[in-house]
Amino acid sequence: MIVAEIKPFGEIKDMLKDYNKVLIVGCGTCVTVCLSGGERQVELLASALRMARKIEGNEITVGERTILRQCDPEFIDQIKDEAAQYDAILSMACGAGVQGIAERFGSITVLPAMNTRFIGVSDGQGTWVEVCAACGDCILYKTGGICPVARCAKSLINGPCGGSQGGLCEVSKDNPCVWQQIYARLVKLNLLHFLKEISPPKTRPVHPRRLVREDLRLKKEQTKGV
Amino acid sequence: MTDKAIPPCQAACPIYTDVSGYVSAIAIGDIERAIRIIRQINPFPSVCGRICTRPCETACRRSQIDEPISIAALKRFAADQTRGLKLIKRPEHYYDERVAVIGSGPAGLTVAHDLALLGYRVTVFEEQNVLGGMLTQGIPDYRLPKDVVKEEVDFILSLEVEVKTGLSLGRDLSIEGLLKDYQAVFLAVGSQRSLLPKCNGVELSGVITAIEFLKQISRGHRPNLGEHVVIIGGGHTAVDAARTCLRLGSSEVTIIYRRTIDEMPAGRAEVDDAEKEGVNIRYLTAPVDFLGNGNVQKVRCIEMRLGELDESGRRRPVPVENSEFEIKADTVILAIGYIPEADALKDSGLILSKNGTIIVKDNTGTTNVKGVFAGGDVVSGPSSVIEAIAAGKRAADAIHRYLRNLPDKEVEEHLPLRSLDDNVVKLINKSNRQNMPTVPVEKRLDNFNEVEVGYNRNEALKEAQRCLLCGSGALVADNCAACLNCVRICPYGVPVPGREIAEIDISQCQVCGICASECPASAINLKLETREEGRAALQKVIDKARQEAPEVLIIGYYCRYKLPTSLLDDSGIYWLGKLCTGRLDIFQLIYPFELGADEVVVHMCKNEECHFRDGSRWLLTHIERAKKILDEIGMGADRLNIISEEDVSDFKKRFEVLGINPIRKREKVRG
Repeated sequence: MIVAEIKPFGEIKDMLKDYNKVLIVGCGTCVTVCLSGGERQVELLASALRMARKIEGNEITVGERTILRQCDPEFIDQIKDEAAQYDAILSMACGAGVQGIAERFGSITVLPAMNTRFIGVSDGQGTWVEVCAACGDCILYKTGGICPVARCAKSLINGPCGGSQGGLCEVSKDNPCVWQQIYARLVKLNLLHFLKEISPPKTRPVHPRRLVREDLRLKKEQTKGV
Repeated sequence: MTDKAIPPCQAACPIYTDVSGYVSAIAIGDIERAIRIIRQINPFPSVCGRICTRPCETACRRSQIDEPISIAALKRFAADQTRGLKLIKRPEHYYDERVAVIGSGPAGLTVAHDLALLGYRVTVFEEQNVLGGMLTQGIPDYRLPKDVVKEEVDFILSLEVEVKTGLSLGRDLSIEGLLKDYQAVFLAVGSQRSLLPKCNGVELSGVITAIEFLKQISRGHRPNLGEHVVIIGGGHTAVDAARTCLRLGSSEVTIIYRRTIDEMPAGRAEVDDAEKEGVNIRYLTAPVDFLGNGNVQKVRCIEMRLGELDESGRRRPVPVENSEFEIKADTVILAIGYIPEADALKDSGLILSKNGTIIVKDNTGTTNVKGVFAGGDVVSGPSSVIEAIAAGKRAADAIHRYLRNLPDKEVEEHLPLRSLDDNVVKLINKSNRQNMPTVPVEKRLDNFNEVEVGYNRNEALKEAQRCLLCGSGALVADNCAACLNCVRICPYGVPVPGREIAEIDISQCQVCGICASECPASAINLKLETREEGRAALQKVIDKARQEAPEVLIIGYYCRYKLPTSLLDDSGIYWLGKLCTGRLDIFQLIYPFELGADEVVVHMCKNEECHFRDGSRWLLTHIERAKKILDEIGMGADRLNIISEEDVSDFKKRFEVLGINPIRKREKVRG
């Protein structure tokens, strides 16, 4: 899932200072799962904003909605009419969601309430960890299912840098050396021979990336009901 | 487990009373709501609160942990506390059809009650001059005072139910004749003819039947039975007769019963009470002969042992050879069984069993004669009040359908929630049953005053709060994001990851509310108090506060399980009770400020005292997060505080420092 966290309240309040009617839109997928941008957070942020602005003597009207995903136009359209009544939308989704709404509605300002952090997994209650860099060329089959691109501080893909001590990364002692983990896993899986294979250097992706699946696109002759 | 499963207490009740509903209402002190729930289905709450056989308590899942909830005692409390409260309105329109009810016991009066409320004119015919059947004639005052029955009977009569006493079926009335004036007849003549043991000497003077004896007592007679009384039988009537004899002054009262206490139909508590009062009980003993010359003087008995299972599923008592012995007896009271009066029904055209009970087509009491229904003991043989009420309810519905030409009622399933899993049971805190206060034994035997006193408010609330609120727990809505937060935080380990969403087995959920307070999608709702209901309760308190416009507006949450009553009085705080404050979500902590509260306080108990598990820890977490928000928005974290009972005086001092809520201040300035 995409892991995101809510921006500091002051920053959000500041972003909204010129708006008096704002619709907060939560997202029911990744950011709900990582406990940061679902229906409950929408309710809390709305109340906090109303109070903060009342205290300043500059009242704000805040609407609250949560849709299942902000990265699909069909879901975004569910709030189309409602959104039109507001000066701005405060999206509690990842950056994709913010842009999804901005793209769809065009004429309404869409502001991000979140900082999108990474693609990650849950690492115990209240903790998430980055595990995938979306490099576009997966090598997990030869690294024992542990991604050095996302989890090595230097994104080295052909073995460790040599700076790790006691199994910990020299860049941050909070992190294990992922190459030591890969080695241990490969020993366990009896796949150590993969370490002898040299992976070619990864090219930095050129943004924006786009994925087109010709096999899935509607052909000219295929029609869609409206 | 289907969603339709209901709490075991409710499933075990013959009339499916919403026990959990009224017990949880008592748990939060809402006695009026409790009696409304009871009254909706049961016309005899005071009676059942005293003498019900309590199948609900046998089914109660609390007994997996310690002891079942005292459900009947709570019903009695609700009924006693609300005497005279008019809860049920008469119907606005009446149908033309009239219904005759023969017999004014609980079955007959229930039919009268339910049909009257449906809008029928009902006439109740009663052979005796007193209404109530066995309630007034068979159960002594020390267990069920007459005025208690009278009040419930009077209410039924107030529903424009006509009564004709002194008229007996077979003698003064015939079914055929009644059907000319009434479009339906309900027979509830009971089962009051005593069976006699096959013993020599049963005709001796001094050998009497328990029913006749108890009827005499109910009419105010106080016969002299002599010193030694022997009662034959093991049912409620035998025990009632024995305890009555003690009150009449007999010193040696002995019940002889041919099986053991485990097979005894009388309730264990009643037997205990009887023994405490001085009744001797000889188990595994049967009478052989009653001996005497004109008057009975002795009972020759034989010892029994339990043999193979009989057709009733109980082990058959078998005499032990050469074990005969004699007991002195000035009076012998027979209480071995009852059948309906044969004369009343003999020319009725109804199909009867060999015991004389009426054979009905189904459990609604439809008989072979069109328009004639039957229920209560005359169909089932001697049974409990609640079974008689249940039969009456089913019959009233069937009569209404018959008269209105409506289709038969669909058979409803009443599946009980399954037992608690062992791993959940071991996490539930133990809590002892509140003892029923009683009159001390030494003050009981010279009168017929009620022995059980009933709970006071504190006892009742405490007892009700032992209820596990089975089936009132967490429901997961479709908008669950399957984040598995609930799976990770439930202190009882109940939620599990499902195929698409988290699954919470409602049969195991303990209703602590922590998952609901933490669910990021707000997708979990507790049946006990939904999110909307929780918000509405808060709004109500704040509305009240705003209306009264106090100088300092403080909203206080407290845990109802801890009842800090000293706090609730005169503290100037607008209180809102929760069944554990661990279920308070952050919104409930900050929202009062948006509505103008100057301060929010939460009374917190020590974590080890939490009714659930970890409620206090979760409350602290929520308060910490709420304080952060209050700080960020400029309201100030100091306005949200945990308090103990000693802190009350601090509020005003704190207020002097904090001042009025800036939102309210602005409103005031503008206003």
